[in-house]
Amino acid sequence: MASDMKVKKTPESLDLNITNRCNLRCSYCSHFTSAGDTDTDLSTEEWLMFFRELKDCAVKEVCLAGGEPLIREDLRELINGIRDNRMRFSILSNGTLITEELIDFIKSTGRCNSFQVSIDGPGPESHDIFRGKGTFERALAGLRVLIKHKIPATVRVTIHKFNYKELDKVAELLLEDVGLPSFSTNTAGHVGLCRENKDAIQLNAEEYSLTITKLFELNKKYDGRIQAQAGPLASGAHWKEMQRAFDANEAGFSSCGYLRSCGGVFSKLAVRSDGIMIPCIQIPHVELGRINKDSLKEVWLNHPELKRLRDRRDTSLKDFEFCKDCKFIPYCRGGCPALAYTLTGNENNPSPDACYRTFLNAGGKLPEI
Amino acid sequence: MELNKQYPIANSMIVFREEFDDWAVLFDPDANETFGLNPVSAFIWKKMDGKHTQADILKLLKEECDDVPDDAPVHIKGFLADMEKRGLVGFEQA
Repeated sequence: MASDMKVKKTPESLDLNITNRCNLRCSYCSHFTSAGDTDTDLSTEEWLMFFRELKDCAVKEVCLAGGEPLIREDLRELINGIRDNRMRFSILSNGTLITEELIDFIKSTGRCNSFQVSIDGPGPESHDIFRGKGTFERALAGLRVLIKHKIPATVRVTIHKFNYKELDKVAELLLEDVGLPSFSTNTAGHVGLCRENKDAIQLNAEEYSLTITKLFELNKKYDGRIQAQAGPLASGAHWKEMQRAFDANEAGFSSCGYLRSCGGVFSKLAVRSDGIMIPCIQIPHVELGRINKDSLKEVWLNHPELKRLRDRRDTSLKDFEFCKDCKFIPYCRGGCPALAYTLTGNENNPSPDACYRTFLNAGGKLPEI
Repeated sequence: MELNKQYPIANSMIVFREEFDDWAVLFDPDANETFGLNPVSAFIWKKMDGKHTQADILKLLKEECDDVPDDAPVHIKGFLADMEKRGLVGFEQA
């Protein structure tokens, strides 16, 4: 079955790692030790020049990440450049460098779509253990500044071995005490520094099962205010639906049976801190060209590596030894290409990380809820 | 409103994104709002450069497209009025 996804004339949004620097070294950071860890930051003028090209390409939004984007001394100039070139922006931050003055400025632009802060626990113990002493208090203080200034704040909770039993308290802190409308969750994936520390960080099948159950319970209690695009909550929900459909002998789901988990390469692109264009922040080893040297539009429409990643949608899961005899193929989309690469060496393989059969074989269980 | 004496000009702060099959979207980054444009509306938007009157645009549309209906001027006028109301278009007088 051929994919019917069309490629837009230009990307709608871009993820920009505007710096390689960070004031922290979180044990599961996806950036450091990856191919995106370039030890180079572009000048202000280089980014501003690129923003002008983004305007010409009618790009609507950029997401500023790193490293820690707030560490750039010229952040206001960059944000002004984004605003002047008719774009909106989001920021992914560890939250520890937030100041009243900076947030005042961000508020004044009127263009901030979201500002994400990482908070991993209800208190310092389970947050600071992997992010560094004192980081919980600083991140929480930063979050409160965002809320005070009515910036659209979001929180990402990375679930690991030391916080998966504390999710009740995390939800209480973020949804009741801080008053966020929602927060999102994930686990630390097999990327960046997590690869070196996985045994201390990543959940085993039993812990993963308990986490799915707990997140389902909390979402019932908080009316669905906990969200996820990946990790236990997202996988748990999809796996439950897969199991239900299989038990009911239903035909496969739409778009399943092929490598179709991610449509990012049809609408987005990313740039490393050294100016190299890449398909996704999590696929930094696939180099597509350099900003201000190679045409963004040309790269977007014609680069063979992007075509290869887009064509993964036409690859049947039946073609893989990994999926051989799997009864869930008609309900499966194969998982994240970035994790497929770090776990198997090829983005166009299914990812073992999101595999329901692998989860069951390891003793994983889904909740009755 | 005289079709030959007004020159519609697109709000320069609005992002015009051409998507698939000649369809397009307008994006207002301040309001964070998006408006869809069908191929004819997208064609008209691209001619709103302050140099073409509505009559000019109608003429160009007839050159570009087959079977332009007789009431096209009414639709163009309505489209521009709607765009003006949303702050997406202004008019320069001859």
